[in-house]
Amino acid sequence: MVQQRKLHSMTFVDLVINFIMILVVLICIVPFIYMLAMSLSSPSAIVNNQVSLWPVGFNVQAYIQIFTYPNFFRAYGNTLYYTVAGTLIALFMTTLFAYALSKSFLKGQRIVMKLVVFSMFFSGGLIPTYLLISNLHLTGTAWAMLLPFAINQFNLIILINFFRAVPSEIEEAAIIDGLDYFGILRQIIVPLSTPALATIGLYTAVFFWNDWFNGLIYLNTSQYPVMLFLRNIVNGTTMVGDGAGSADKSTIAMSIKSAVIITSTLPIIILYPLLQRFFVAGLIVGSVKG
Amino acid sequence: MADTSIRSTGAQPSVGSSPGSRSRHFRRYWQLYVMLVIPLVHFLLFKYAPLVGNILAFRRFRPGMGPFGTDWVGFAYFERFFGDPSFWRAFGNTLVLSFGNILINFPIPIIFALLLYEVRNARFRKFVQTISYMPRFISTVVVIAILGEILSPSSGLLNRILEQVFGMEPIYFVNEPQYFRPIYILTETWQFTGWTAIIYLAAITGINREMFEAADIDGANRFQKIIYVTIPSIMSTIMIMLILNVGSLLSLGFEKVLLLYTPSNAMVSDIIDTLVYRTGLMNQNYSYATAIGLFSGVIGVILVSGTNWLSKKVSGESIY
Repeated sequence: MVQQRKLHSMTFVDLVINFIMILVVLICIVPFIYMLAMSLSSPSAIVNNQVSLWPVGFNVQAYIQIFTYPNFFRAYGNTLYYTVAGTLIALFMTTLFAYALSKSFLKGQRIVMKLVVFSMFFSGGLIPTYLLISNLHLTGTAWAMLLPFAINQFNLIILINFFRAVPSEIEEAAIIDGLDYFGILRQIIVPLSTPALATIGLYTAVFFWNDWFNGLIYLNTSQYPVMLFLRNIVNGTTMVGDGAGSADKSTIAMSIKSAVIITSTLPIIILYPLLQRFFVAGLIVGSVKG
Repeated sequence: MADTSIRSTGAQPSVGSSPGSRSRHFRRYWQLYVMLVIPLVHFLLFKYAPLVGNILAFRRFRPGMGPFGTDWVGFAYFERFFGDPSFWRAFGNTLVLSFGNILINFPIPIIFALLLYEVRNARFRKFVQTISYMPRFISTVVVIAILGEILSPSSGLLNRILEQVFGMEPIYFVNEPQYFRPIYILTETWQFTGWTAIIYLAAITGINREMFEAADIDGANRFQKIIYVTIPSIMSTIMIMLILNVGSLLSLGFEKVLLLYTPSNAMVSDIIDTLVYRTGLMNQNYSYATAIGLFSGVIGVILVSGTNWLSKKVSGESIY
């Protein structure tokens, strides 16, 4: 009897918990559905406030318009370039650094580790960083977007922990087979560390994809990433819907804004479930030990 | 030559002090040192050179005179911002926003993780998790743009609900100063709750099953198990997260504040970082802005070491 009552009260608690979870899910995805609906609705439906979570007067005008908008295409291309190049550079730098630092017998390894950890809590600040970049004459070049972020201390520590977990017997066997350390890194460590590399690769790619502030302070308009393009639309710095003229310019801008939001976010939303099984483990390793 | 190095790699190399063993050490591991060189140079250049660049806070910057300015001015710039009311306003706003943020957004992921762990259906739990991480991957620009459309006074979803359900007048949320702080804090909740909860969820999953079984035998209900078993077991994780949070107290989501900034909410939305951005990059008072930035950086380090010390004393947990 006691058992039964317990069971009964549990199901009620379960119900409440499940309800809260459904609410959380809705809060997380409704904004995107709203954006999607707005981007696919006709301007007149937007004007009359008819659009909520389903497109009204379905059309893809907004998408056609942004795809014919040369600045959007260029910004999108810029972002693609920054993301791919930035991620590759970051993976290269971080892998080399992490592999060397995972060998605690190297002289000076402890000091470098201390430097890495200290720099996580105390960073150079906006102005000195800005002056460094401009004194290196990186302003106005893509390098300003790519180089300063090639090593992220958090990702570095994730990778060091991962490399340390590779059994040393494997490396010893490889040395007996005649591999040197470059060979070990390339042929053994990197293939064994795909989950960790995928994790930090995803973090880095997301960072570069979403970055806009560095574009704002270091780059020229033609080099702007897509997020900065979007910010300028939101700010009203970049005019959209110019061709339409007349009163409903702002509603056209509304559906175009939504279309830019959707197109610039879609790649990440598609990419991240594919890599999800890796990154949870990565986050836990990095946060608990870091 | 190759032979000797091959045979002796089996054991962990001992680092001797005689010059012979040192040169052998370098000869054997030179490739690892080579790997270290490029990233280390990069790291020192992009992480430590700006740190050294903070010297600018004590020297007067003149264009064309190099990154370290011209002559020493001591604490002149610090004295200047200490007497500047707009600095104190930014400082106050930073503290209010930070503490408000920690107060709300520190416990929420813990509660979310505790609740999520109680979800019985494993597939539904996985689904909720997947969806709740998603906002973490969205650019701040997109978050603010979506927010702008949802909160728009003319056509935004929220204002239409308020109007149709409660008969309220539309509110221009993003322009009204009193809504700035709630907007900032709630968008943080939206973006990071699911993500931060991963760490607590991992900690909960790591709790020894026998503890729950023992609690079952003692007749504990679900709520009691959470209070007496789960929370004490993840306390060390909670403390570490708290230290990290307090350590980054002054470094708020600067980009988000910048995106939410409008002249009409400036009284509450001007924080230290935006002040540094405006005085430094927009008005090109490099030395003055560096001094402000350095000050807030030092406060941050003091906060993190202070909390770390306190935590070590109270709970035995520390991050270093």
